[in-house]
Amino acid sequence: MNMVLKLVRAELRLVLREPLVLAFVFAFPIVTVLVIAGSFGVDDMDSFANIDPSQWYVASYLAVVIGAVGLVTVPVHLAAYRERGVLRRFAAAGFPRWSFAVAQMAVGVILTLAASAVLLVVAGLVYGLPRVDSPVATVGAVVLGSVAFTSLGLLLGAIVPNARAAQGIGLLVFFPSFLLGGGGPPPAAMSATMRHIARFLPLTHVTDSIRNPWLGLGHGTTDLAIVAAVLVLCLLACRRAVRL
Amino acid sequence: MAVTPVVEVRELCKRYGERLVVDHVDLDVEEGEIVGLLGSNGAGKTTTVECVSGLRRPDAGSIRVLGLDPQVDSARLRPLVGSQLQDSALPDRMRLAEAIELFRGPRAMPVEGLLVAFGLADQRRCAFSALSGGQRQRLFLVLALLNRPELVILDELTQGLDPAARRDVWDAIRSLRDAGTTVLLVTHYMEEAEALCDRVVVMDGGRVLDSGPPSQLVDRHAPWATVRFDAGRSSARPEDLGALPGVSQVRRVGETFEVQGDRGMIAHVCAHLVGCGVPDDLAVVMPDLEEAVIAMLAHPAERALEPTGGPR
Repeated sequence: MNMVLKLVRAELRLVLREPLVLAFVFAFPIVTVLVIAGSFGVDDMDSFANIDPSQWYVASYLAVVIGAVGLVTVPVHLAAYRERGVLRRFAAAGFPRWSFAVAQMAVGVILTLAASAVLLVVAGLVYGLPRVDSPVATVGAVVLGSVAFTSLGLLLGAIVPNARAAQGIGLLVFFPSFLLGGGGPPPAAMSATMRHIARFLPLTHVTDSIRNPWLGLGHGTTDLAIVAAVLVLCLLACRRAVRL
Repeated sequence: MAVTPVVEVRELCKRYGERLVVDHVDLDVEEGEIVGLLGSNGAGKTTTVECVSGLRRPDAGSIRVLGLDPQVDSARLRPLVGSQLQDSALPDRMRLAEAIELFRGPRAMPVEGLLVAFGLADQRRCAFSALSGGQRQRLFLVLALLNRPELVILDELTQGLDPAARRDVWDAIRSLRDAGTTVLLVTHYMEEAEALCDRVVVMDGGRVLDSGPPSQLVDRHAPWATVRFDAGRSSARPEDLGALPGVSQVRRVGETFEVQGDRGMIAHVCAHLVGCGVPDDLAVVMPDLEEAVIAMLAHPAERALEPTGGPR
């Protein structure tokens, strides 16, 4: 366990030195939530289940942070380590193969929580924070969504050939997920086709599992179950896919 | 009582898909030895040491390292083995001091002395990406030695180093051996193997062609010699030289005679030159490990060449 803690500490330091992480996980969600949450007046509340749009988006954007970590940061980081033989060096130095995955999982969750905290502070100062209707379910959904998407990131990073491919694929998956799965227009404003596609995107279920208990729109348990299923599938696939 | 080798490999086989890259390899490394694995690219050297390190699972055969199975006992074995692997790196933004802290185990030796010995004392805050090729290789060596390993595995350690830096690393490896550490070295530098290794194992196509001390391999696979002198400084005639026992070929290269043959030929040619006038530029050129390995790779099925065989 000592080795895992050393890895987590080292990886946290490194990840915060990565411009991609700072830009994508910290800056991007904050800039976009400030823009989009201020783009709708209270006249448009029909499309937002009678919720103030700014509050709707503040409650939605934690999922954007989760998506950025899981779909872009983690896969690019892992693929770069594989490509350059960093994982081989860790393994040769006595770090068990699972220790790097566990460390990445911890780093992914810590990074998500840190970026979420910064986002809530900034968005809260500008728009105010919506009252949390069901705190335990909301926090549980954030943590589970973060673990599930970090696992998805580990899986992507383990199967793509190199860091450039990870970046390309990650961005290709992230932006539709971001636009249709929580960061873009509300479902009521989407066409039926877009809503249908959105239901197949895991990030949509992360968003709903956080937003619904937060804003009192439902328990979000079905969405939470889907996120849990994503987690289990990713973990099983990771066991087979992790290469040095 | 027989001493157990530090590394004992028997009938090791490893496939990548359909390709057999290590083919029934046997390898012993005794305590305190420096053993070199030599061979061309794709010979199976790196895969063999990766199996020994426990990084790859063999398809067949057995491996014991310090009496332990690298696959089953990896947790007990890893602290006892220091590895420097080919094609591996550290994270670009990791600083040298952070790398040492990360890889430092309970058996670690004082870092200060190591950093000074390898000329890295002033680079503690340097990111890995900012280090030169030589500094990176020296850092890898520091990391491999950090935890006082009983066996050190070094794969192409001096690749990319300038001659002075390479010799510094050689001195460090000799110091290791003098301190009782066993070293398994993968290299394609013949000069390095000849300078460092107590024994050399030559591989090709996944198989071991031969092994032994470098001088014995030279005797077995390059058992020839060349006597060379200025043709104008002796009255010796090529046809007389060619008739001497053991001589396989007499060539005139410009103004120089080159007489080639087995080692015994040297005495006959020199005796003949005493009668014809001893040239003052007389030189005897003995083959080195490189010639022996080239001969082995050119004729892998042969374990020794005929005495009259000449240099290729």
